[in-house]
Formats: sequence, C-alpha cells, structure tokens
Amino acid sequence: MLETDKLTKKFKDTLAVDDVSLELRKGESVGLLGPNGAGKSTAIAMISTLLKPSSGDVRLHGKSVLKDPGDMRRVLGVVPQKIALYEELSAYENLKFFGRLYGLSGKKLEQRIGYVLDLVGLADRKKELVKHYSGGMQRRVNLAAAMMHEPEVLIMDEPTVGIDPQSRNHLLETIRRLNREEGMTVLYTSHYMEEVEKLCDRVYIMDHGKVIAQGTKEKLKAILSDQETVWIEFDQSYPELFKKLSEIEGVQHADADERSLKLIIPKGMRLLASLFHEAERHGAQVTNVHVQTPTLEDVFLRLTGRTLRD
Amino acid sequence: MKAVFLLQWRKFYRQPLLVLAMFVLTIIFVSVSAAGGEDEPVFVPVYTESMKQEQALEWVERLNDEKQFAFKWMLPSEARSYVAEGDVPQAVELMEADYRLLVGREDPARLALDSMLRRVYSEELRFENAAQDVPEIRELMDSALSDPVLKLSAGSLQGNGDGDKLQLLFGMTLFFVIYTIMFSLVRIVDEKRTGTWNRMILSPVRKWQMYFGHLGFSFLIGFSQISLIFLLFRYAFGFEMGDRFWLLIAIAACYTFSIVALGLLIISLIAKPQQLSAVIPIVATGMAMVGGAFWPIELVTNEVLLTVSKVLPITYGLEALTSVAVYGNGLPSVATSLVMLLGFGGICTAIGIRLLEWRSVS
Repeated sequence: MLETDKLTKKFKDTLAVDDVSLELRKGESVGLLGPNGAGKSTAIAMISTLLKPSSGDVRLHGKSVLKDPGDMRRVLGVVPQKIALYEELSAYENLKFFGRLYGLSGKKLEQRIGYVLDLVGLADRKKELVKHYSGGMQRRVNLAAAMMHEPEVLIMDEPTVGIDPQSRNHLLETIRRLNREEGMTVLYTSHYMEEVEKLCDRVYIMDHGKVIAQGTKEKLKAILSDQETVWIEFDQSYPELFKKLSEIEGVQHADADERSLKLIIPKGMRLLASLFHEAERHGAQVTNVHVQTPTLEDVFLRLTGRTLRD
Repeated sequence: MKAVFLLQWRKFYRQPLLVLAMFVLTIIFVSVSAAGGEDEPVFVPVYTESMKQEQALEWVERLNDEKQFAFKWMLPSEARSYVAEGDVPQAVELMEADYRLLVGREDPARLALDSMLRRVYSEELRFENAAQDVPEIRELMDSALSDPVLKLSAGSLQGNGDGDKLQLLFGMTLFFVIYTIMFSLVRIVDEKRTGTWNRMILSPVRKWQMYFGHLGFSFLIGFSQISLIFLLFRYAFGFEMGDRFWLLIAIAACYTFSIVALGLLIISLIAKPQQLSAVIPIVATGMAMVGGAFWPIELVTNEVLLTVSKVLPITYGLEALTSVAVYGNGLPSVATSLVMLLGFGGICTAIGIRLLEWRSVS
C-alpha cells in the first residue's frame, strides 16, 4: 500500500536518513524503532510529504507522491510528536476546525467529532480548554485531530512521550483497537520497546539514519534465538565488578545500570558459578538474578551495542 | 481559507485583550493629549511706575491682541504681591520705550513672553518713528492690510487647534494599529512552532488559503480598529474631519494593507516569537517617530530622517489623512500616497511569502 524506496535526507553535512526502504501493507501495524536521533522523525516527515527527500521515493499504491502529494495527504492521518493543537481553544473547537479543513460541515462534522471524542474518551470534557488538560489528555486530542477525516493510514511519531502510564495505556489501547477492529494501517514510531512489542506486527529498527534490521517480532528475536539474557541486581553499584563480569569469556553484550547488569550470553553457558565467585571476591551482594528470553530491546542492544535510551 | 479565517476570530474571542488594549490606549492617548492642548492663555500681571494709566491700558490692549498671554493691568504693589506669593511666575513692568520682567520663579513660558514683548515693542517703536515723517502711517497700514494686492497664506499643523488634534488622532491611531496587526501575525510563527501549521499543510487546504486566512484576519482587525476610532472621535468627541470621511476610510484600508504586508515581511525574517516581541515595538516606535506620528513631519529637518521617512508607510498614511481631513483635499491629491501604500504592501507581501516558504523548505 505504502512504500519508500531508498529514502535519503541530507541536512548540510548531516545524513539524517540514509537509504531507507520501508513497506506498509494494508491493515498491518508496523513499528519504527530507534533511539533519539536515529532519523525516525525525519523519515516520518518525508513519508507524510512534509519534507522533500534529498533522494529516493515515496509511493502510495505504486504511484510516487513526491510531485503530487494530494492523494497521499487525503488518506493519511499524522499524529505529530508535539502537541499540535490550539491550546486556547477547547477540544471540541479544535476538532471542529480540523474537520472543517477536510471539508466536513453540519451534521457530518458533529457526528465525526462525537465519534473521535468517544474513541479517545474525552466526550464528557470536550468543552474544556486544551491548556487545562493533562499531558495525557492533550495527547489523546492530538490523536483525535488526526482521525477527523477517517484516514486509511495513521502515522504516529512517538505519540506517548511524556505522559502518565494510565494515559499511555489508554492511548495504546485506542491505537490497537483502530488497527485490529477497524483495519486501520498504522506506522508507529517510538523508542519505547514495550509499546512496539505490544502494538506492532512488524518492526523496522533504525540507527544513525539507517534501517539496521527488519521483520516480524519473532523473526527479529530469532536473531538472538541461541542466546539468553541474564539480568543481575546488586545491593549497590560495583563498577569494577560490572566490568569484570562483562569481560567473562562468552558474554556477548553487557549493559550496566546503577545497581544492575544485563548480559547477553550464549544459551547454555554456565555463568552463575563465575558470577557468584566474582561477586564474593568484590564483597558484593547479589539480590536478584533473572534469566529471560530476548526482547526487542536485547535485539537492539545486540545490533547496535547501545540501548534505546542512549 | 474560510476555516482558517474563522479560527482567528474564535481565537480573538478567547483572547481579545491585546486588541482591546490597543483600541483603548489610542482613545486614552488622544483624549488626554487633545484635552491638554486646550489650555487657557497664561495670566500675566502688568503694572507701570512711569506711564499714565490710559497709556498703560492702551499697551495692555495691544498686547492682548496677540492672544498668546492674558495681560491684566494692576497697581505695582498688587503685581509684586502676585509674584512674591508665587501665584504667578512673573509680571511685566511697562515703560515708555522698554519693558522689564519681574521674575519670581523659573517658568518655561518666559522665553516666549520675552520674545513676544520684544516683537510688539519693536513694532510699536518703528511705527512711532515712522509717524514722525508720515503722521497717518497707521491708517495707511490698516487700509493696506484690509485690502491687500496679494494674499499669501501659510498653513502648519503646529499651533492650529483642530490640526493639532487631528494630527494627534491620526498619529496615535496609525501607531497603535501597528501593534494590533503585527502581534496578530505572530500567530503564523506560533502555528509553525506548535505544529498546527503542518497539520494544515497535510489537509486539502492550499498554502495561499492558509496565508490569506491569517492575513485577512489581521487586515480586518486592524482596519476595524482604525475605522471605529475615527467614527468614535468624529461622532462622539466631535472632531472635525472634513467632508470626505469615506476617503479617510479608504486611506485607512490602504495603510492597513501596507502594515499587514510589512508584518508578514518581518515574521519572514525573524522566526522566534520571543524575538518578534522585542522587534515589533522597536519597528512600531521607530516608524512612528520618523514617520510623523508623534509630531508633524514638517518639524523634522534632518535630511537622513526625511529620506528614511519616504520609505515608511506611516508617512504616506499620515500625509494622506491630514491632506483630506485638515486641508480638505480630495482623491487626486492623495492618489500618490495611496499608490505608494499599495505598492509597498504588494512588494512586502511578495517578498514575505517567498521568504517564509523558502525557509520552511530549506
């Protein structure tokens, strides 16, 4: 349905997006995953025709949209990373304006406003000014505004940044419903792994402007099928111990937090004996050890040597 | 375009304070300043110790013809008492061929008083000298002045009561409306910052419709402000604005267009709302000072400032308004000013939109 072909964007000396080819099939939910600065937002801006690529193409149903973006814009609903609303107006007034932009009027406009407000759970607070809403509620109106013209494809650029867990769950649930129940095609960018894992069928992982891996969640996790993740928690921080453990033969990747250490090791590797031995040598107390199957976060760590938070 | 235009009114309905403040400020400034311009002539006690009373009264009558000060003859002791008690800053002692100022305290009007007395005394003494050769000189002069061969009149806004008031009204109105218009255009910058502009770009609304929705609102709010203030001062405060009120409104429309265009050019050059908040007052005040909004442009003698004023829309706006309201001229007299305003507006709009688009693409 929607595809990009070797999409590239260069800003002076910076290559923000480098040769990115993506594909979205009708009705599927695709995640674009990467840390801050990976080039996700630039890619999204080019796909939604807001930014002209330096090279490459964006096609809708096989037809390039670069010269005439009209067709693309009609089927696209874009939820920007920023809260792109008029905060001095109410949610109802905002939605009315965005509906009018798409030629809606009268009864049809009112019906659509009612529908999207129900969808995001703000029908009973529609008359309140947006500036008086919580961050989570503003994010919900941000989504509702993109839904006013019944788009076929919903592109979301980190729509849950900076909101409370309850609002995030509500938002994710709404997106899942739109995709699963209404068959809406979704391109979801985030640097929150669990969101992408929860929502998306397929995932593109971006880093430094490039797509470094792609496929279904299962396929990506299979990259680490012969590995497992060991997560160790200590009573306090032991930088020297963490360094020593990271250097144990067989450990493929390590990610240290303040009081914990995550190690990716080959399946079946006997790590625990060495772990407790080194801990005792450093006078450290192990408070928790957890062995788990790899997550997308682990895949990202393996592929880039960095975490998504870096 | 209609949706964008209506949105601006909805936002105005929610936040009307800035526009109302500019409207009220214009009224306050003009009312207060115009009321201050109608002071009574300054009272000046006059006495003499060397002249007869009849002769002194003739002098007082002659001095009062000037209408600049209100001279009143009184006894020397009475005049001295006025000055000593601080009721007046000075008194005048009349002498045969000279005068003397009795000064109690500093007064800004003293220079004007002294200059006027010197002029009147010189004139009278010249007459007296001439009368020695031609005794009927005064009658001959009066007769010649009542039926002159050539009449020459010089007009100036300064010192002309109604002209002063109209200059003040036009100057303040055109000055404050710059704020209203330019701050309303800052919304375009705000939309680009918050991302609502991109939402509009993604809709079927064309870019020119987005710009015209904004510019149309700014024009209408500015034009309404000027028109309402003119109507208010004409009908509620009784300002005499001539017989061609429609022409004043037409000039206001051309001026508003030029300021909207100038505002667009400014926001195309300066992208941040905080910077615009600093730049707009500088531009508005600078333009008003050089363009003659605070004082008549005739008072400016500096060649550089006069040259700069020729590229400012406020100069042409004020020139056209005073030409129609004060001197009673018609459309042909102000056509050049109107063409300048429209031309200025057209050029600024074209450059402004071009720059805004260029910056958003690059």
